[in-house]
Amino acid sequence: MVIVDGVRTPFTKAGTDLAHCAPDELGRVAVNALLTRTGLDPGLVDEVIFGCVAQPAEAANVARVIALRAGIPESVPAVTVHRNCASGCEALTLAHQKMCAGQGDIFIVGGAESMSGVPLLFKPTTAEKFSRLSRAKTFGQRVRMLAAFRPADFQPRIGLLLGLTDPVCGLNMGETAEILAREYGLSRDMQDAFALESHQRAVAAQGRLAEEICPVYVNGHRPAAAIVQDNGPRASQSPEALAKLKPVFDRRTGTVTAGNASQLTDGAVALLVMSESKALALNLKPLGMLTGYATAGCDPAHMGLGPIFAIAKAEAQTGLTLADADLIEINEAFAAQLLAVQKCAASGIFAHQHLHRRQPLGEMPRAKLNVNGGAIALGHPVGATGARLILTSLKELRRRKNKRALISVCVGGGQGAAIWVEAL
Amino acid sequence: MTHFAQPVSEVNPPDWGRPRTSPKQTASDAPSIHRELTAEQVCILTFDRPESSANIFDRATLAELDRHLDFLSADAGLKGLVLVSAKKAIFIAGADLLSIFAETRPEALRELIELGQRVFNRIADLPCPTVAAIHGAALGGGCEIALACDWRVASTDGVTRIGLPETQLGLLPAWGGSTRLPRLIGLPKALKIILAGKTLAGRPALKCGMVDALVPCEYLLPAALKKIREGKPRRARRPFINNALVATVIAARLKSQLQKKTRGHYPAVTKALEVATKGISRSISDSLQLEVEGVEELGRTETTRNLLRLFLLQERAKKLKLRGGLENVASAILADVEPGFQPGGKNRVTEKVSGKMERFQTADDLSGRQDAALYGRPGGPPPLSRPALSASGVAPAAGSCAVIGAGVMGAGIAQWLSAKKLSVILRDVSPEQIARGLSNISKLYAEGTKRHTFTAVEARAGLDRIHPAAAEVPLRNVDFVIEAAVEEMMHKKEIFRRLDALAGDQTILATNTSALSVAEIAAATVHPERVVGIHFFNPVHRMQLVEVVRAPQTSPAAVQRAIQFVQQIGKLPLLVNDSPGFLVNRILIPYLIEAGLLFESGACARDLDEAMLDFGMPMGPLRLLDEVGLDVAHHICGTLAEKFHGRFPVPSLLDKMVKAKMLGRKSGRGFYVHARGKQSPKLNPETEAFRCGNSAAGLTREQLQVRMVLLMINEAARCLEEKVVASADDVDFGMVMGTGFAPFRGGPLRHADAVGTAQIVVAMRHWVDTGATWFEPCAMLQELAGRGGTFHSD
Repeated sequence: MVIVDGVRTPFTKAGTDLAHCAPDELGRVAVNALLTRTGLDPGLVDEVIFGCVAQPAEAANVARVIALRAGIPESVPAVTVHRNCASGCEALTLAHQKMCAGQGDIFIVGGAESMSGVPLLFKPTTAEKFSRLSRAKTFGQRVRMLAAFRPADFQPRIGLLLGLTDPVCGLNMGETAEILAREYGLSRDMQDAFALESHQRAVAAQGRLAEEICPVYVNGHRPAAAIVQDNGPRASQSPEALAKLKPVFDRRTGTVTAGNASQLTDGAVALLVMSESKALALNLKPLGMLTGYATAGCDPAHMGLGPIFAIAKAEAQTGLTLADADLIEINEAFAAQLLAVQKCAASGIFAHQHLHRRQPLGEMPRAKLNVNGGAIALGHPVGATGARLILTSLKELRRRKNKRALISVCVGGGQGAAIWVEAL
Repeated sequence: MTHFAQPVSEVNPPDWGRPRTSPKQTASDAPSIHRELTAEQVCILTFDRPESSANIFDRATLAELDRHLDFLSADAGLKGLVLVSAKKAIFIAGADLLSIFAETRPEALRELIELGQRVFNRIADLPCPTVAAIHGAALGGGCEIALACDWRVASTDGVTRIGLPETQLGLLPAWGGSTRLPRLIGLPKALKIILAGKTLAGRPALKCGMVDALVPCEYLLPAALKKIREGKPRRARRPFINNALVATVIAARLKSQLQKKTRGHYPAVTKALEVATKGISRSISDSLQLEVEGVEELGRTETTRNLLRLFLLQERAKKLKLRGGLENVASAILADVEPGFQPGGKNRVTEKVSGKMERFQTADDLSGRQDAALYGRPGGPPPLSRPALSASGVAPAAGSCAVIGAGVMGAGIAQWLSAKKLSVILRDVSPEQIARGLSNISKLYAEGTKRHTFTAVEARAGLDRIHPAAAEVPLRNVDFVIEAAVEEMMHKKEIFRRLDALAGDQTILATNTSALSVAEIAAATVHPERVVGIHFFNPVHRMQLVEVVRAPQTSPAAVQRAIQFVQQIGKLPLLVNDSPGFLVNRILIPYLIEAGLLFESGACARDLDEAMLDFGMPMGPLRLLDEVGLDVAHHICGTLAEKFHGRFPVPSLLDKMVKAKMLGRKSGRGFYVHARGKQSPKLNPETEAFRCGNSAAGLTREQLQVRMVLLMINEAARCLEEKVVASADDVDFGMVMGTGFAPFRGGPLRHADAVGTAQIVVAMRHWVDTGATWFEPCAMLQELAGRGGTFHSD
């Protein structure tokens, strides 16, 4: 399967420029721009597959809403996929599986997420009171039902927090990062230094990243506005500023801060993928090719190590090792998590204990790793991130005239995904 | 008793006056009404005019209905009567306007009205309950027959519209509409509908009481039968509002309001007011008599004939088609315009005057194709290039287009196209330009939503169909490209050179230029035969006219596709030859220039604008200049004056105002000061400084009016002389639809005929003698004046 082209919206911090764009709007803009840019007849698409973690209540199966709004004909089906942070990767790999099963040749895949739009919720007990109120028939009943409400009933449950908490191990994602920091001896300074570099790299890459970005036109803005740039990377980021931040998840002894964790972000990515033969028939020049992938499970409390397991599994399937990768893109959920992955990959003991192999996976040199910055600077719209890593690494391979890139993400709930791509 | 959506079979000839020797005369032999009796002894009369998409009332249909009523009145056991239509989108569209128009006997109108009244009275007098089951348009006579029934049930469908548009055509509802509607819903509400010539959708019709029930169209008949079972309705008599006293008060108040609004140019509105208010306190038969007298009086006026004529010209434009299709490549002259589809079934073969056999296609074929486009291909890749035109000379409907330039016009065009379900690539050079365009587009959609033109969902879907492109994108799959960039020849040539390379071979490249030469723009491309002008007017969503400009090298296929495209998007095409300013601006500019000159030499701004409002223009010339923008007007004036070698003196005023940044509405100041909000603009005292003389200060309003109108007439005659358009009808149609030229006068040439060409020439000579050399009448005008001829032959 080849990746013909891709485009994404700017990634903007939750609550800023794109706060009022629902995921279907963001996805529509990306797919629309992809179709316009490539000039592809939308009737040729066999299916639209989009990842989205927090699907809006008003756009169930958001992929279908995105497809129809972007001008894909009604006859083309669409499906939304959800593998938490790997949803964007999952969209691509599912398309590949469908192609292999003879279920289509041309797919539009991607991910869309509006972290700004994750709603506040009522507690189940409050919801029950509302439902009883709506069933009340007489005036007296209604008054009684109203009287049953207490101020505490109106304290919202924050959807975003719930989504970022693993219900199985009971830990918030940040808490799992704290575990990794403690177990692998990753100090606050190490994490902050990593975070700073992520910002520096992302700021330096702004011009290059512009290639993959389509403007989002925010209606109703006065004066009329075109949002054209990521707003996460901070040129002014400094070690001092990072050091000032308080730990979020463990206030007394913790090391994970808002500064060395990924940002909450809005954004969408769309990729046009198809079989090689179709690309040839349509006379298209693809960016690159999907050469292998794997997803693996691990301990939910150590979900940050997911990439290690997925990369090992992909190696078993493809024979490709870390040394084969010219570029490595691993999602920066947390600086601690990424540093732990780097450490474990190089550790023979870890390989022996957890991967049942003698050799470690190998080194992940910083020179190859996240060369254009990562989610700490650019942000992590969870459903879209996987697809962005694929797009960004393919464009970078082309710029560097390099061959292979490895993309991996850790997944809340204890999973990892790894994808190998090759430039064409 | 009007008839709006004319069936295909009725619209053909623009050769007014001649009685119809229609090839479809056989159709009248087939019945238009089918009668069926249910087991419960309820009679259902189904209107289904053969070989037509609409039902209309002509003499034959009324007589047929009369015969059915003979039968029904004889049936004592009859439990009820239901009237339904078998058509998809029309209940009954009203009276056959063309036959009214073509009728030459003066008493014919009276006879037709009396026949209709008599037949409808018979329905109203039936002892059993009667129901009109309305799905689709029930206009004029269609509404009036429904009013003669006891009950009206209507479908919730969007095609259902009910109303009395007669006054818009210079007539009044005379088949009982002016009598029965006030009695049904009360005089004040009824007058709102009758005087404005309004048509209502189902929901408002239910709300105001014109219909009694609203159901999905599938349940229309059951709902009608339910009303039959309810028996005759007991209706409130409304003694407090429907009495002579109230009627007198209302009449007096509305009369002065109407006078202000119409300046006395539209007698039908005043007459309708008089008939409805007088009739309310009389018996039904006396009131109906008032209707007959009123409509007869109106039918004699030139105003009514002009309005009817314009309506028929609009219908003609909807069906305009280039004659000959592909074969006729060599002789692309305007006389080739084929005025309408041939009636009847698909691909009907018709004998032409030339003796050549040609194929025609009906609108049904087009819609079939659209459906196919909607549901995508059945499998496999699409053909690499689509055929430009089928053998029958009809292209498949356009599905996607691109608009180059997101300025005011570009955004307006993109909005309109997207609202008409076309996907639109909106291309401009920077995201900022596109953002501005998109913000204008979303404003248009927001206004449309407020006015209930769109639902919020439709508006969002429309916006979604716009694909912004801030960089060059492939245009292989685009059917139409419309360029609406800056009016600069070099710039446009560069754009077309690029478009030629980017677009597929079958893409039509159109320019929306208002004054530049299409031929010159086309010359920048490798395939100039596919370059055509598609000239929209501002504001795009309001102006129905679109000039389709044919350059000498434009292929007939491209012209035909452009015409069809304009029709597809619900606009009225006018085919014009590539000549400076085309038709509408060409005629308008001398008029605006004259207004500028008169102002410059001392005429009062208010007098100038009022003079033309009195004439019947929707807006005075100076106010219009403000709306158009002084910079735009200045540019067009310059281009035209250059092309016509100083035939017009361009007032230095425009230049001065542009330099002073007084650009009209867009800059807040022009001849008027435009405040935000709904306040009407006030005269701008700063303009006084730009005067350079007072020779025109002594002219009366009448003289000012005459001067400005004369120049329009002269330029209109020149356009005809130079064959910019094919006929005097085209000139008049273009000016009324493109500029709002006093519709009741029928257009500049119709007005010239009414005044008399000899008179016109005399008046023009008078002004030449005073030194205004640009009043020299053109050759055609002189020739016509010399022999006492007219522009129009009928």
